[in-house]
Amino acid sequence: MRYLFLLLLTLVSFYSCNSRNKTDANSGQVEADVKITAGRFTLEGQDDITKLVIIDPWQNASGEQLTYYLVPHGKDVPENVPSENVIRIPVRRMICMSTTHLAALSALGATDIIAGASGTDLVYDHTLHKAIEEGIIPDVGYEGSLNKELIVSLRPDLLMAYGVGATSAEYLRKLSEMGVKVMFNADYLEEHPLARCEWIKIFGLLTGKKEKADSLYTAVTHNYLRLAEMVRKSSESKPAVLLGAPWEDVWYISPSNSYIGSLISDAGGRYLFDDLEAPNSMPYAVEAVFKRATTADLWINPGTAESLEDIAEYDHRLAKLPVYKSGDVWNNRNRMKPGGGNDYWESAVFRPDILLADFIYMIHPALLPDHEPYYFIRLR
Amino acid sequence: MRGSGSRLSAGLIFLLLLMLLVLLFTLDLLLGSTQLEVRDVLLSLFGNGTEHGEIIVMQFRLPKAVTAILAGAGMAVSGLLMQTLFRNPLAGPDVLGVSSGAGLGVALTLLTLSPLLSISPGSVLYGWSMILAAWAGAGAVMVVIMTVAARMRDIMSVLIVGLLLASAISSIVSLLQYFSNETMLKTYVIWTMGNLGNLSYMQIRILTLAVTAGSAMALIMVKPLNALLMGETFSMSVGVNMQRTRILLLATASIMAGSVTAFCGPIAFLGVAVPHITRLVFSSNDHRILMPGAAICGALILLVSDILSTLPGNGLMVPVNTVTSLIGIPVVLWIIAGKKGIGRRF
Repeated sequence: MRYLFLLLLTLVSFYSCNSRNKTDANSGQVEADVKITAGRFTLEGQDDITKLVIIDPWQNASGEQLTYYLVPHGKDVPENVPSENVIRIPVRRMICMSTTHLAALSALGATDIIAGASGTDLVYDHTLHKAIEEGIIPDVGYEGSLNKELIVSLRPDLLMAYGVGATSAEYLRKLSEMGVKVMFNADYLEEHPLARCEWIKIFGLLTGKKEKADSLYTAVTHNYLRLAEMVRKSSESKPAVLLGAPWEDVWYISPSNSYIGSLISDAGGRYLFDDLEAPNSMPYAVEAVFKRATTADLWINPGTAESLEDIAEYDHRLAKLPVYKSGDVWNNRNRMKPGGGNDYWESAVFRPDILLADFIYMIHPALLPDHEPYYFIRLR
Repeated sequence: MRGSGSRLSAGLIFLLLLMLLVLLFTLDLLLGSTQLEVRDVLLSLFGNGTEHGEIIVMQFRLPKAVTAILAGAGMAVSGLLMQTLFRNPLAGPDVLGVSSGAGLGVALTLLTLSPLLSISPGSVLYGWSMILAAWAGAGAVMVVIMTVAARMRDIMSVLIVGLLLASAISSIVSLLQYFSNETMLKTYVIWTMGNLGNLSYMQIRILTLAVTAGSAMALIMVKPLNALLMGETFSMSVGVNMQRTRILLLATASIMAGSVTAFCGPIAFLGVAVPHITRLVFSSNDHRILMPGAAICGALILLVSDILSTLPGNGLMVPVNTVTSLIGIPVVLWIIAGKKGIGRRF
């Protein structure tokens, strides 16, 4: 029985030690143990040529590095640079596998280079939506059912992908063999909203809009840090925040060292699972979450619920939580397109300052009394 | 059959198993994924606990433990019926395609209909639509199998048709999965891992009805079942109406397995492994003993699996199906490697 237990334990709780960001005293942190600068890529410029290294591009990767050389059109490639790693900039035709990539191009005003996208039914941006409906931006399919022939025929200069696991790299390898340049975007693995936003710098370099990207990043960072500083100086109490919703009888809990965990602590809240540190969400029994949730002061992102009634219908026990009764329940569904797209998964990635303002408004409404929640809506 | 000596020991075994059942049921109530004092649990059971303690015991642990007993008993009895009917040690509720039929119902709802009707986890229609879809899927497969069973003389053909149907359905489910998005895929995968803890009391009542009705049917059928062990020709010679027996057995097994699958997802392995464990425990082939024996053993194993599924501690949990398989597979291996060949029992 002990061996069975050990086996189960390893099945559930394995995680690599390397994927956590090490504390770096000089990186100007908001919270002690999460870096606010991007930890998954480095940029090194020399002579118009930028060397971009993407580090551990998918979940549970350790020691993986992908190197790209961004070389302006017409400029000679240095001899020591392998040609398959060269991406000519500015990129004129890009295929985006995630709506966040579309959001980056949209923020930079470079949507005209989008040659194709994945999950076009989940796009929120109105201009892009129009282009999709008119067939200007074709859908290239999902991970497993990728339309490789369509991708090749679209003649992209670059396909911006994201990897959920090493297997994703495997199916995209075929595309590389067919001559399509594939870049892995690991923005979603960054543990802090500002780090995630920093990925716009890569899009800036790729599209020839470096200055715009840099100034956007600087402005957003400035706003964000100013808000976080205001919270740190003023608030005393830290309301407890419950996150997410169960699937059947499992409740996947985001770790505290995550994008959303950082937002809660920067907004002056206390995440109910602030003791959980892991590289990805962990499966908890609903009973265990329920017990902790009885002390929650507010509840954010309860799945796809659009009303309090939705939550009670899905699991009547959740309606017995004090936080449910108090009605302090918020979901990220203020900017939704009927039939799919949610701007929270799109533009919010590059507007962490607005996102933080929303979080502050939800957690400490008195600090931003005039703020109008942008991505969030209170459930009734 | 056996002499009165072994009857007596069978009675003793029943007594021990029932005591074990009570013990494990109590343990399942006491050991949850959160820490709760024994006193709190007992007070909560009698309505005198703290508000949250009472919710945890009455709304989380009690329904889960009751569901474990019902689902374990239902799958085990259903498996026993199938093994005897097909005289095949590897038969179980899943060989008939009942589980995959239920899976198809759920997959169709989740992966194709729900994006259209915007049913998503958290929406009003979600819970019941999954259950009804699973039921409809299992029922449809059952109708096909019974039609085949009514037409074909050879019971092995029915088994083969069942297996083929199950494979075909799995392919359709794969196809649906292939074209669905990540959220829906995840919901489906979590459904296939089985869950005991999400039933309301109303749903438990329906499951109780299905399992008790099925078990009662099975008990009525013990005589033809015992005769079946001697072969179909023998059964007919002692007056068993084979055609009717087949249909009744298939219907009983499908209703039980289909209902359990609809409410709890495909509970793996119990249907195949528990009848063997029961035969070993009682060293008997008499269905008068095996039927209640399998029900108790099935309930016991699912209770143990449920307790083990919260073992990682800190509130983490593993899907109950992984636990039943990890318990079930060594047992079946042990049976196969054991001295007594299983073939001889059929």
